[in-house]
Amino acid sequence: MTTDFPTGEVGVRFQSLPVVEGQLFRFEQTRLRVLADVVSKTFETFSKSELDLLLGEALYSERFRLKRERANLFTRTRYKADKALWSKVQDGLLESSVAVDRKALLRSVIKHYAEEIGGHFDPRVYRFATHAVPWGMNWLLNAASVQRFLPWGMTESLASRLDVIGEVSMLQRLAHRGTILLVPTHQSNIDSVLIGYLIYLMSLPPFSYGAGLNLFSNPVLSFFMSRLGAYTVDRKKNNGIYKEALKNYSVRILREGVHSIFFPGGGRSRSGAIESKLKLGLLGTGLEAQLQNLRVGAEKPNVYIVPMVMSYHFVLEASSLIEDYLAEAGKHRFIITDDESWDPRKVLNFFWKLFSSQSGITSRIGRPMDIFGNFVDEDGQSIGPNGTTIEPVRWLTTCGELKAEPQRDHEYTRELGAKIVQGFHEGNTVLTSHLVAFSFFEALRKKYPELDLYRFLRLSVAQRSMPYFEFLTHAETFYQIVRNAADRGQLFMSKSFETSDIRTWVKDGIQNLGLLHDAAVVKVVDDVVWTEDMNLLYYYRNRLCGYGFSLLSEAGGGLGGQPGKIDSKGFLA
Amino acid sequence: MVNPEKSIPKDFWRNSKIAVIGGGSFGTVLANLAAKNCQEVRLWVRNEDSARAINATRMNSRYLPNYTLHSNVSALSALDRVFEGGLDAVIWCLPSSSCREQAKRIAPYFNGNEVVLHATKGVEAGTLKRISELLREELPTRRIGVLSGPNLAEEIAAGKPAATTVASVFAEVAQAGELLLASEQFRIYRESDVIGVELAGTLKNILAIAAGALDALQLGWNARAMLITRGLAEIVRFGVAMGAKESTFLSLAGVGDLLATCSSSLSRNYQVGYRLAQGEHLSQILDDLEATAEGVTTTHSVWRYAQIHDIEMPITESVSALLTHRKKITEILQDLFEKRQPR
Repeated sequence: MTTDFPTGEVGVRFQSLPVVEGQLFRFEQTRLRVLADVVSKTFETFSKSELDLLLGEALYSERFRLKRERANLFTRTRYKADKALWSKVQDGLLESSVAVDRKALLRSVIKHYAEEIGGHFDPRVYRFATHAVPWGMNWLLNAASVQRFLPWGMTESLASRLDVIGEVSMLQRLAHRGTILLVPTHQSNIDSVLIGYLIYLMSLPPFSYGAGLNLFSNPVLSFFMSRLGAYTVDRKKNNGIYKEALKNYSVRILREGVHSIFFPGGGRSRSGAIESKLKLGLLGTGLEAQLQNLRVGAEKPNVYIVPMVMSYHFVLEASSLIEDYLAEAGKHRFIITDDESWDPRKVLNFFWKLFSSQSGITSRIGRPMDIFGNFVDEDGQSIGPNGTTIEPVRWLTTCGELKAEPQRDHEYTRELGAKIVQGFHEGNTVLTSHLVAFSFFEALRKKYPELDLYRFLRLSVAQRSMPYFEFLTHAETFYQIVRNAADRGQLFMSKSFETSDIRTWVKDGIQNLGLLHDAAVVKVVDDVVWTEDMNLLYYYRNRLCGYGFSLLSEAGGGLGGQPGKIDSKGFLA
Repeated sequence: MVNPEKSIPKDFWRNSKIAVIGGGSFGTVLANLAAKNCQEVRLWVRNEDSARAINATRMNSRYLPNYTLHSNVSALSALDRVFEGGLDAVIWCLPSSSCREQAKRIAPYFNGNEVVLHATKGVEAGTLKRISELLREELPTRRIGVLSGPNLAEEIAAGKPAATTVASVFAEVAQAGELLLASEQFRIYRESDVIGVELAGTLKNILAIAAGALDALQLGWNARAMLITRGLAEIVRFGVAMGAKESTFLSLAGVGDLLATCSSSLSRNYQVGYRLAQGEHLSQILDDLEATAEGVTTTHSVWRYAQIHDIEMPITESVSALLTHRKKITEILQDLFEKRQPR
């Protein structure tokens, strides 16, 4: 279902939509109460715990973290405050519990965390950002675009390059009926900026979201984010107290009616594939918020989960991400702090390439769901099988009582996670570049079926090429496979495929694929197709894994796919 | 130390109202077992006359003559009356062939807070969907579990001791099963591997047919032991391929059920095999049986799936041949013995 939402061709110059105010606009007035609630709620959770042990463990992991962390000019204050707090805890723990109250210690730790997590919202900054940033972008766009040669000058706008399709009107409607939890796929740090802008374009009130603490070390980003409702998430703090406080904060702002964004995959997709394993802890906060709302009889208790899939022809950080994936560096996954997305020139280059290539970014809003993963109708009612309506209160009642049941709620959230993964795959818009990368990669693999992933990625330059016509036949085959899948509703294909000549879309795909990178991901020279970077090719190819499109028998031979499955040769199937 | 948290579910289920869908022999037994542990049991039977007969005689004479029903049990045929005022649990005891259709009919009566426990030992023909999957697709609730084990209804009805397994991904469903059904003669074990419990209960019916056939030919104890052991290996292979845990097949729902069904002439699937081996025709046998023999459809569905996915199941293949009268029983046995050793 598409909507009347202004996308694509509209492109009004300096288009400025009215800012829609939402709960976040009133956030500053409630902020202190929210934080106080987070502190007391978190404190309550640990009321029965062995406090010496709890604090001791937290102290150990925090000391460890602080030892390895390097503070810069902008993070020094926070670093020092952290250090002071944990020195105090250490001193306190060395005293007897009579002399130093453990509860007071715990409370001060939670308070410290809550203050760090809690964001701010400044309506003035929001107005500025929604107008000035796009203005700058539009200026860049028009400078980069070939259309600048046209006599009427600046005709393009950022909005015209952002295509939002899918259940937009439903999302707009549901935003008035409950709290939205937007769960997008995550490929690039640019995602959060773009999504923030898309939300404004969709005439939705601003959303809150968790941003990695490392983003705040950049003064410009920090200025904006900390005033636009972002709260900080520090993945390096892995102690129980912090996690509980973070979870409670997210529950609390959802209960406040603040729409939120979670990247349910936890971080950016390293492999380039659509997320298949989600962080259920964070996802479960939706259920928890709704349950607490229902218990106190809130006016709009419902939380709606809305998947969103972003499709890029090129991803700024692709090479760092795929390298990290291939190194299987699970342990230091979250500590890429200096990848391309921090270099302003690279970011500028990204947008320059985006605008000059005439290509855009497609995002699709998926069908909204309730906290259990049931689809909801336009009125926000959960749809059950056989024309039934599901009342969440009933599903959350156990033994006649409406209350939290950790095992049950975890199970509900697990199923919600599975539904989101399914929604991601079904809402994926295949771009021409994705199919080019996939076809070429699989065609090469067919030539060397005995190689495992790591040997395959080390093919020599001569080995990783093939005649153009041969590649075309493969592209045609995979086009048909993907088209059939699209007809079955397993995914979508972009408009660029609507051409009778296969060469047209293949050309479009090759042009756009990884346009940003120094190395050509797929290149045609003298009727020979080859790649300069196997890792990047693998990265872009992975966008189409999980559907069972591969024809190789190792990958199941086209017998349907399973997201996240790895075949016997180590490739994402 | 008494845990006050624990007594909440106990009190709740003691005061609960439940329904048993399906008034076959096992449904009747379960209704009676639950009646002792809750306030009211409504036994749904398809036709109004049998409901009246059951209520008048306090007996389900068609399936279990001489088995008196508990005073908390009442038989009903109208669904709106079964669900009147809301239920706390639904025990599902329909044959697999009618599960889909009845679930569609019953779905609108559900409130969503009900806990569902099914005791159907079968899979949907063709799709090979497990009953819990099927019910999930049709009913507006997710709290669904399975009950399965060596439970020959006639023996439980006679007050002989027995045990069973309940499994669900929701702990509260398994707990409900335990609190509702446990008694001095009936013990409940909780499991978490739903796939394993459902498949074990389903697949053993294939072997029950084979066991009946062997007995009809009077092939002796050695042959029976061989059948059960090799048959177990075969169903484990299939189960694991479908995502079950191997260890589940060693539980009551696995070996337990297998031993009971393969050794008892009370089992309907056993009777089917027995009479087939004596040369009777399948349609004739099925006409004579009062109730469904799940093994017949299961064998066909499983064998078809095993062929597609290359799972070695020689005994299932043989039973399938026997059921379709493709081969004579002597030929089938010959084939089985000539078969090359699987790795």
